[in-house]
Amino acid sequence: MRFQDAARDARAVVYAGIQADPLVARLATLLAEAAASERWMARAVMNGERTDPQTWRRIFPSLFGEAAPAAVADHAERVLAASLEVANRGEQVRSQYRGAVVEELTARLLARRAGAVKRERRVLFDGIPAEIHPYDVTVESAERPEVYDCKWGARGINADVLNQLDDARAHAAEEGIELRVAIVVFDARRSAELRLDRSTARHDETRLVALESIDELAEAGA
Amino acid sequence: MTARADVVERAAAAYRALADLAETIEDEWQYVTDLTDAYMPSLEALAKADSGRPLPAGAAEAVHEAIAEIGLIADPHRAIDWLSTFPHVVALALGGDVDEPAGVEKPGATEPESDEPDDDSPFRMLLRRPDR
Repeated sequence: MRFQDAARDARAVVYAGIQADPLVARLATLLAEAAASERWMARAVMNGERTDPQTWRRIFPSLFGEAAPAAVADHAERVLAASLEVANRGEQVRSQYRGAVVEELTARLLARRAGAVKRERRVLFDGIPAEIHPYDVTVESAERPEVYDCKWGARGINADVLNQLDDARAHAAEEGIELRVAIVVFDARRSAELRLDRSTARHDETRLVALESIDELAEAGA
Repeated sequence: MTARADVVERAAAAYRALADLAETIEDEWQYVTDLTDAYMPSLEALAKADSGRPLPAGAAEAVHEAIAEIGLIADPHRAIDWLSTFPHVVALALGGDVDEPAGVEKPGATEPESDEPDDDSPFRMLLRRPDR
């Protein structure tokens, strides 16, 4: 088994520009330090219709109300501002930014415990045709390799994604390598589990990381 | 009817309308139905959470604004995105929890906290349950 950079077609080049936008890094950095309630706010704002910050401050009184500590409100304000920058892009572009943010957040949390965290990589196995789609994030450790597919919403979980992850795990196992595969969803665990429950694709050895528990990516032994 | 029950009732009605819009995506009918079946009882159960306590400051206005937000949605795809988000937003405002089926206690909810955040952390209020 070996990792390899994905070939860049025109679409990938455009998306790479979004991934490299400083807004993506700024928001991912803020979300990596955020509490769950701030992450819910970010999801709501980036899914939202209204882009008036005062509206969102009213929707999240625990973050912006009079009882919220100044440091909490200050951090939440920065998450709100960055999330609104994403929301203010057009519908098509905002969806690409949201995906890029989840990938960047995943990579940053993983980097707290793992050294070789990479993006847009394929996993190759001898004698097996390569998958078309690269993995969003990989941890390329010889002892404990990991691959991650990242989704903004649970609706992004589908049979293709699950099959690709499980196939990689199975092929690695044939080579005696324990490849850990996971899907990261910036959505409620409950909604992702409902999605998985209806899927006939094998996913019993695919780990689910949802919005509420995304900090576990950074934990040793996770 | 208590103020909490009134707020939850309005949120549940808005959620039902959101689900009706989302259901127009035929390919996702099952998922929309699963989400609604899962979240609606949990949303309604928020009426009984913290019974006897007044609503937290700003909670009623927060839910009112959240209802207004989902009322603006015309795109059924975006409605699906909100089916999993709206109940959590309402729960954050009211101080409840929609992570588990209604009537099921969250694992460890009654156990003492062993990983309390540092009191010096500015995020300690957010890191403590039930906000987690």
